[in-house]
Amino acid sequence: MFQQMNIQQNFPEYNIPGKQHHDFSPYESNGGSIVAIAGKGYAIIAADTRLSSGYSIHTRKQKKTFKLTDTTVLGSTGCWCDTLSLTSLLAYRMQSYVHTHQKTMSTNAIAQLISVMMYNKRFFPYYVSNVLAGLDEEGNGVVYSYDPIGHCEKTTYRAGGTAGALLQPVLDNQIGYKNQNLAEKPEITKEKAISIATDTFISASERDIYTGDSVVICIITKDGIEEKTVQLRKD
Amino acid sequence: MALQEICGLSDAPYMKSRTHFLKSTEEEMKNSTSNIENCYSLSAPPFENPMQNLNAIQQHGEKSGIKIDFDHGTTTLGFKYQGGVLLAVDSRATGGQFIGSQSMKKIVEINDYMLGTLAGGAADCVYWDRVLTQECRLHELRNKERISVAAASKIMANIAHEFKGMGLSMGMMLAGYDKRGPGLYYVDNDAQRTPGNVFSVGSGSIYAFGVLDSGYRWDLTDEEAQELGRRAIYHATFRDAYSGGIVRVYQVTKDGWINISNTDCMELHYKYAEEKK
Amino acid sequence: METVIGIRGPDFVMLAADCVQASSIVVMKSDHNKIHKIADKIAMATIGDAGDSNQFTEFISKNLALYKMRNGYELSPKAAAHFTRRNLADYLRSRTPYQVNMFLGGFDDKEGPELHFIDYLANAKSLPFGAQGYGGYFSASILDRYYHDKLTEAESYEILKKCVAEIQKRLIVNLKNFNVVVIDKNGIKNLEPITSVKLDAAIAAAQGAQGVRAH
Repeated sequence: MFQQMNIQQNFPEYNIPGKQHHDFSPYESNGGSIVAIAGKGYAIIAADTRLSSGYSIHTRKQKKTFKLTDTTVLGSTGCWCDTLSLTSLLAYRMQSYVHTHQKTMSTNAIAQLISVMMYNKRFFPYYVSNVLAGLDEEGNGVVYSYDPIGHCEKTTYRAGGTAGALLQPVLDNQIGYKNQNLAEKPEITKEKAISIATDTFISASERDIYTGDSVVICIITKDGIEEKTVQLRKD
Repeated sequence: MALQEICGLSDAPYMKSRTHFLKSTEEEMKNSTSNIENCYSLSAPPFENPMQNLNAIQQHGEKSGIKIDFDHGTTTLGFKYQGGVLLAVDSRATGGQFIGSQSMKKIVEINDYMLGTLAGGAADCVYWDRVLTQECRLHELRNKERISVAAASKIMANIAHEFKGMGLSMGMMLAGYDKRGPGLYYVDNDAQRTPGNVFSVGSGSIYAFGVLDSGYRWDLTDEEAQELGRRAIYHATFRDAYSGGIVRVYQVTKDGWINISNTDCMELHYKYAEEKK
Repeated sequence: METVIGIRGPDFVMLAADCVQASSIVVMKSDHNKIHKIADKIAMATIGDAGDSNQFTEFISKNLALYKMRNGYELSPKAAAHFTRRNLADYLRSRTPYQVNMFLGGFDDKEGPELHFIDYLANAKSLPFGAQGYGGYFSASILDRYYHDKLTEAESYEILKKCVAEIQKRLIVNLKNFNVVVIDKNGIKNLEPITSVKLDAAIAAAQGAQGVRAH
């Protein structure tokens, strides 16, 4: 395809008059949003289940959270085919880690692995919005968020996906207390975090056409990963 | 069987044994994550001239709504003075118009005696700084002494040269202390590498330079130097929309680096406004 | 490539402008005055298209003179700024817009000193300090850093010197000389131009006094 494009650019006399040349665009946005919140002894990560393309909805039941280990869950949206490639490669690499080191990967090791794997495609990036949530070595929650080429930052809360820019300010307000000048920020309990995450998704489905149907919330604690589904607008 | 050969049927995927299939799959998987074994081996894109064509795809996204915006970092500065090297940076990361983070670490601790600052593409800088950290450690193990800032910056410049024209975006300073005393180098994605006394890199650099140049002297005291760096970054965050967040100040002396302060620029704003009254 | 800087103090306004007149890549003249007296206590520092800036300032100043002849009193600096802005706005929507950016500095006997930023899109804003042109990027943070409400004339001149030194250090274009004008209750006064020769001499003297070696 690109070879062709270059011929047309370089040899204009071979151009067919009236023929339209389209830009090479190998990506598609399949939509979806993620919210992750970490606190003392827990981490939650929620993602909606709508998978769409343009103005049509492919399915209303696509989970976008991937359980990587007993303490780590990845949320991934964007171009769904890139999500699938990335997560299957990740599964392969994590399995080979287990065979090499005789232990499962820690959350921060997975965070770094994802960063390196995404940077591998620096010159033809994965179009994905990734948020990783899990427990650290002490059993406390951590959230890592990524840009498309693997820049990774550790935070305590993060929104990503099509409604990311819509939801992050809500989290800044409700969890980061950025609207208040507090000496000490109140700790967010697990129950509060779940309720905030649910609320943000209800808001997102009101205003973002790519977010809706239902939201799957993964609650990660030392006892394992509990999954909860909340129904959203279906329109 | 001969007919199969002639028709080329044996090349068809369904004629291959399962083990062969697994082997090629495994190979493909290895190739797709090749930089785990060899950090310099990145996947080749399915098109030539990634600088232009990746840009074209990103540009196309403006129309289709598929925005592949990388995080970008912004104002950093560093200068040498009688007390060593001082680095000061902001902490805002922007993806397009969106502020991706207000708490990014733009100073990378390469080892106890060397720091790197990052401006430009966040992922590019962080990834290659990590590679540099590895190379520096290997140098230490091979040669039984710490790497000089000159050599470390040369490694970085070599990496930049290797990928020149591929569209990497990096503008970094390496600061450290070695046998030759304090060291400060500037390295960028054009593989330009140069030592110097005063540098500022990023979109806010012109503003930082204003304050820095007018207040810079070689014989600054430690406190004066820290305040000058902090002020220069503050004034850059004030004027440049892509800079903001926390002003981080680091200092490198012969005993290694120390983190002097991390101050929110809102706090600095009111402090300086108060001082003017 | 040109630069103008303006500072408003408690009882004066100071304007500085570079003195380069360039055509294509050639410097034709490096002592060209860009700060024009347009009334007894109003000066205008204009940059932009070479012909337009002269033409436009002259047009404004002659109109101000006409106003004075007709009415027997001068237009206040604020009114002059508004008149200038309105003209730019009208010309912007004509087939021949003026490509000019300027600072209008004036002293009003009742209102005190005034500094007005005006650009070719007819944006106008009264400011305590400001800078336009490429040099403006390098001056902005210096003005932010050193400006305060109780500035004296001497301090203001020192700030301008800092700005010019920075422009000459960092901007790739060679802007050797800057004319400086101060407007106060006594009218318009030209100050000593800030030149690279003098700045270099001052830096050399300062380094000599401290005994600092060049690193």
